[in-house]
This record gives sequence, C-alpha cells and structure tokens, in this order.
Amino acid sequence: MADYRQMWSDLGMDLEKHDILCEVLPDAFGGVYLSQENRPEGMDYFNFVVAEIHGVRPAELIEHQQKGGKVFGTFCVYVPDEIIFAAGGIATGLCGGSQFWVPGGEKVLPANTCPLIKASVGARLDGTCPFFQIADMYIGETTCDGKKKAWEILNQDVPVYVMDLPQMKREKDLQAWEEEIKSLMQKVEEVTGNKITIEVLAENIKLINKKRNALARLYALRKTSPVPISGKDALLITQIAFYDDPGRFTDQLNLLCDELDKRVSNGEGVFPADAPRIMITGTPMAIPNWKLHHVVETLGAAVVVEELCTGVRYFENPVDQSGSSLDEQVQYLAERYMKTNCACFTPNPGRIEDIMRLAEEYRIDGIIDCNLQFCGLYSTESYLVQQAVKKAGIPVMHIETDYSEQDFEQMRTRVEAFLEMLEK
Amino acid sequence: MATSIESFSSIREIAIMQLKAFKEAGGKVVGRYCAYTPTELILAAGAVPVGLCGTSEKPIPAAEEVLPRNLCPLVKSSYGFAATDTCPFFHFSDFILGETTCDGKKKMFEIMQDIKPVHVMQLPYAGLKHALEMWSEELRRLRRYLEEQFEVKINDDDIWQAIDLVNRESAALKAVCDLNQADPPLMSGKELLSVSWSRSFSTDVEEVIRMLEELSASLAASPSSKQTGLPRILLTGCPVGTGTEKVVVLAEDLGANVVAMELCSGYKTLSLQTDTSYDDPITALADKYLQIPCSCMSPNQGRLELIQQMIKDFQVDAVIDLTWQACHTYNIEAYKVGQLVRNLELPYLQLETDYSQADVESLKVRIEALLEII
Ligand code: SF4
Ligand code: SF4
Repeated sequence: MADYRQMWSDLGMDLEKHDILCEVLPDAFGGVYLSQENRPEGMDYFNFVVAEIHGVRPAELIEHQQKGGKVFGTFCVYVPDEIIFAAGGIATGLCGGSQFWVPGGEKVLPANTCPLIKASVGARLDGTCPFFQIADMYIGETTCDGKKKAWEILNQDVPVYVMDLPQMKREKDLQAWEEEIKSLMQKVEEVTGNKITIEVLAENIKLINKKRNALARLYALRKTSPVPISGKDALLITQIAFYDDPGRFTDQLNLLCDELDKRVSNGEGVFPADAPRIMITGTPMAIPNWKLHHVVETLGAAVVVEELCTGVRYFENPVDQSGSSLDEQVQYLAERYMKTNCACFTPNPGRIEDIMRLAEEYRIDGIIDCNLQFCGLYSTESYLVQQAVKKAGIPVMHIETDYSEQDFEQMRTRVEAFLEMLEK
Repeated sequence: MATSIESFSSIREIAIMQLKAFKEAGGKVVGRYCAYTPTELILAAGAVPVGLCGTSEKPIPAAEEVLPRNLCPLVKSSYGFAATDTCPFFHFSDFILGETTCDGKKKMFEIMQDIKPVHVMQLPYAGLKHALEMWSEELRRLRRYLEEQFEVKINDDDIWQAIDLVNRESAALKAVCDLNQADPPLMSGKELLSVSWSRSFSTDVEEVIRMLEELSASLAASPSSKQTGLPRILLTGCPVGTGTEKVVVLAEDLGANVVAMELCSGYKTLSLQTDTSYDDPITALADKYLQIPCSCMSPNQGRLELIQQMIKDFQVDAVIDLTWQACHTYNIEAYKVGQLVRNLELPYLQLETDYSQADVESLKVRIEALLEII
C-alpha cells in the first residue's frame, strides 16, 4: 500500500493499532484469494481495491469533503443510497467484518452481541478504520435489537441518524417507509445544504440501478456450469460494491462480466462441472469475512449464490425509473426497498420464497444457512427456512459462527461431512 | 380478615379453577406476553386477559428443539410451555396477543402460530413523529380483531370502564409498592414480587383491587417486621416472576433488602395512568402504553429518569441490573444505566444470567462484592 500515514493521523486514527491490521490483512487476503487458480483477469481491479482499501477510496472521500461534500456511513441494505447521492453526498458501507475490531466494541457492548455490531462499534471507538473516521454522519436503522441499541451508544461519539424500518409489510407499513425516506431526504438535504430535485434523483436512481444490473449480470453468469467465477470472488465484489464509487465499480464489473461471458461460451470454469453447487443464506458477510466461502471452496464445492445482504438482497429488484415527481420517485424507492426480504420482518414468507426460487435458478445441490452468533432474527427464522427446504428435498445445514478463527476446524469438519452426503 | 401477602400466592391456583369454569361456560380468554398489550381492550371485549411469560426452566429443553439456544430464556420458556401444552393459561387461551418488542419474541410468534392463532401488534418506537398515530392504529386493529373473533361489539363506554378498572388496579398496586419507601421497608423483595406477579393471574380485577387496598391498609397500620439498616437495593432490567427470582433471593439471603423493582410488573408500568381527559379512549390508551420505558424503545430516556427518581424515593444504596441472556436491548442499555448510576456515585452491578441454577455461586460472589462496597 502507498503511504497514507499522514492522512490516517489527520483522521485521528490510532496508528499503532491500525498498523497491526495493515500487517495481517495482505497475508489473509493472499491466503484466501490469491491462492485460487484460474482467476479471471478482471479481478485485478478488485484485488487492487482491497490492497489499497484504507488508502485510495478514503483519499477520494476526503477530497470530496475538502470540496464541501459530505460522507454518510450506512450499515444496511434498506438505507437508500439514491437519496444520499442525489443530495451530493457519498454513501459508504461501514459494516465491520473483522475480529480485529471486536474487542474494541466489547468495551461498551456486551460480549453476547452479534460480532458485526461489535466490530462496527469497535472500529469507530478504537479509531482503526478510516471509513468510520471520515463519515460526517452515520445512518442507522432499526433492523435488529442489537443495532437499534448500539446506535444510542455510538451517538455519543458521532451523529447517528436512525431510520425506523417497519417490521411488517402491510400497506400502511409501506407508507410509513415512504415517510421515513422523505425524512431521510430532509435530513440529508440539511446536512449537505443541497436540495434534491426530480432530475438529480432520477439520475441517481439510474446510477444505482446500473450498479444493481451489473451485479445481477455477474450473478446470472454464476448460474452456468462450470461456474466461471468462484463464490469467494463474487462475494468480494459484492462487498466492495458497498463502498466503491458506484460508476467506476459498475464499469469495472461489466468488464469482468465481458470476460466471464467468454469463459462461459468456451465452457471454461473455476470448478469442475460436477462440483457440488452451494447456496449460502443468512446474515451478511462484511469485508473481510470470507470464512465460510473459503471453507466450502477449499473443500471442492462451489458457492454459486448468496441469499445474503452481501448477495442477492443487495441488488435484486431495480427501482422503477418512471417516477415523474419527487413523491412518485420516493414511492417507487420505498416499493423497491420493501421487496427485500430480511428476517427482521414478521412474518417473512418472502425470504423463503426467494430461497426456493434461487435454489431452482442456480440449480443448487445443497444449502448452508449461516448466521452470526446472537442474531436472534436469522437464527430463529432458520427453523422455518430448514423446514421449507427440507420439504422440497434440498439438503440443508445450519451454521452459527462469529469472526474468530476458533471454530474454523470444526466448521470445516461439518461442511466436509455435509458435502460428502451431497455426493452420495 | 385483612388480606395478607400470603393470600396473593394462591391467586394463581384459584385462577386456574376459575378459568376452567369460565371457559366451560363459553368465556373467552386472551393470552399475552408483554406489558404493551392493552388489557383494557380485552376486558372491554368481555374476555379475560392472562399473562403467559414463561418463568420456569422446565420447558426450555423442549423449546430448544425448535428455537436457537442463544435466545432469551423467557422466550424459550414461553414457547416451551406452548409446545408441550403444560401451561394451563396458554391452554385456555383462545388466541395469543403478540407484539414486536424484541427480535426473539417477534420471530418466536411466527413459529407459535402453528400451535395457536397469534395476533401480532407492531410496536413503534415512542420517539417517532407518528408513534401515537401508529400505535392507535394498531389498537384499533386489535379492537376489530377482538370484535370479529368473539362476535361482540366493543363500545367506547366499555373501553372507558376497563380503563377505569385498570387505572385503579395500577394505583392500588403502586400504593402497596410505595410503602417500601419507609425505612425499614415493610416488605421484602420476595414478598413484593409475590404480590405484583401473582395479581396478574387473577381473573377478577375488582377482587385484586380489593385485596391490594386491604393489604396496604394492614401493612401501613402495623410496624415493619423488617430489620433496619440493611443495604437497600433497586432491581431493574428484564421481567422477573415467581420461579425466576433467584437474584432477589440471593441478594436478600446475603443480607440486602430489595426495596423496589423497576420491572415490567413493577414501576415500569404501575406509575402509568391512562389519561381520561381524552375524547377517544383508543388514543388515551395508546398514549399511556407508549410511555412504558422498556429498553425496546430507542432512545429510552424515560427509563433513566424513572431509575433516577426511584433511587431518590426509595433511598437506594445500590442498583442491580438484571439481564436475561441474549436479551440484547436490556443488555446493551445496561451501558447507559451503568453510566447513570455511577454518575450518582452509587454502586452498580449488571448480571447477565438465565433460568438455571448453574451460575448461582458466581452470582453470589458478585452480589457479595457489591454489598461490601456499600
Ligand atoms: S446479523 Fe443479525 S444481529 Fe447482526 S446486525 Fe444483522 S440483523 Fe443484527
Ligand atoms: S427479556 Fe428481553 S429478550 Fe426476553 S422477552 Fe423480554 S425483551 Fe425479549
């Protein structure tokens, strides 16, 4: 990585602690990613983004701020990026995915909290991630008990604006969500000092839709067999989608997809055509959480789709672009976001339908339903997921894990046994 | 004869007999799990509300066959009772009234649906701009549901009557609990719990009011039998009931007096009165319920204010904050409660535990350490 120490120190980061992270990350990435065979050349861009993760993009965000722009940190796929970009802001995903940040979070949060939340809070309070330092404001939401209460603590250190996400999907809940998007709009306008117009919002709806389309294109390519790209690489791309510049990301991803198109027409893949095809469902895998994918793929199976926030929940359902007034545009945004099926909703039959549909579209041999520890939502819903997929005759296993490496061997053994069962 | 504390402990048994007879005569029963579900509407529908929160370890293994282990014991116990059909109150319930207070309960209700019909109310956060409107709408939805299910018509007057009844019950219970501001207190924590928990099982609110009024009169008339000078503890946090009072028992066995409880069955709800000056009883109810300072609200300034007030009123020496394992809202809010109590220069102890007796020794050590610094 180039030298960004001055920038980091200007951000008030804990340089010594951060150095430890900078030392381990390249090795971790090398071990998990660069060791893969026959990777598409188009991955070079994404490798570069990761290699410079705490440098290039943060420098761009700071440049944006120096020109008077604002940066908003987000934690959830329900927060509409379109609104933030339309007000001339930049939205950047902040979910923490590393054990490195967990102890920092545990200083103020109970140990029995989901690691994603602990890592996110720890990254901020310890000053060990530039993105968390740069953001002028965090946009939280009330998806789960843990996040909802963690915002109150974070708010003592950085302004957190909280969106109230409905917990049901009735007509009036949809309206309530529309109202929440309007309130967000007001807030973002106030912070950036820019008024959102129909034209600019339309432009940004298109911008984000293009990103969604590129991701959808990537995922569609994964439906083929042999699969032209590994699950690990696809996961990495989706993770990067949360914080990279949307336009550049889309261009780079489309270039990669052009290459994958060729692979598909040549029948070229990264796994043998008969490798078991796995779907992973459950809680998000924030960068650099690659644990389960690494376990599955080093055992010879291919992860071909993720029913995760870092997966199809992020990009399915483009926004209707035909809105001709701000009200209509917001309505279409609300409709789009309410189509996403997270376990925080009750009841949530849509998620099970999604899983069944994906299982068919991606010709899935087995499902791994995986949730982070202490996520009461996904772990409880797992019962209903397993019930439904078993009924459809699809083998499924459930894994509960955290960010530590402690359960790595145990996870490996369990996944191995599951894969053996599939091959029979 | 004046009502004694002991007479409360038999309420539950009596209620089971009465409910059986009531059901056989065609009566309707609604099971509920949460202080936010409006008993007034159930009463106005001519039905009997019963509290179902599980306070026993026994059905938890059965629940864990379906629910994750990493879930609050209250949720697991409640579901376990339902799944094993071992709770008469659940058994008698015509339907279950659920709410979205926490992730665990919210998702558990989806699964409970297979056992009995569950009507879920979506609870908004009190701080929201439209919270009152949203919650009123949920109450109206419940009113319609009750009317359809039980084929009755609920008039505003019925609701006002029920409001009056519940207001009087809360006031009567509060009067009893307030007596413990005295030094020495008039009741032990165990007695306090027995009264406030047991009364919730009664099928006859008027009778409970009468018992509570008699109890406060007789307690106030005779001198306290409690020892003076013992450390005065405020218990706050997750719901506690008969069967899950181990922290209260431990603290008192170690020589403390649990003088007051900021819990769902205690001051969290009983200092609230429905404002009868509203024109519409539904809005009046919505307004009252949204004032409950449960940790599921965000932000939840009301709880901090209530705790501060109680520390003063009850001359509290230390605060114990009890969290059931994996109850994220209380567990995380403990950070702020701790901040508040320490700022008041009082000892504060947060305990995260479950329904088992496995950690009793370590709890004891920690409570002992707390009592030593008082
Ligand atoms: S994984 Fe579950 S507990 Fe963790 S942040 Fe997401 S919804 Fe909340
Ligand atoms: S104690 Fe907490 S987790 Fe348990 S039911 Fe109550 S709010 Fe939910």
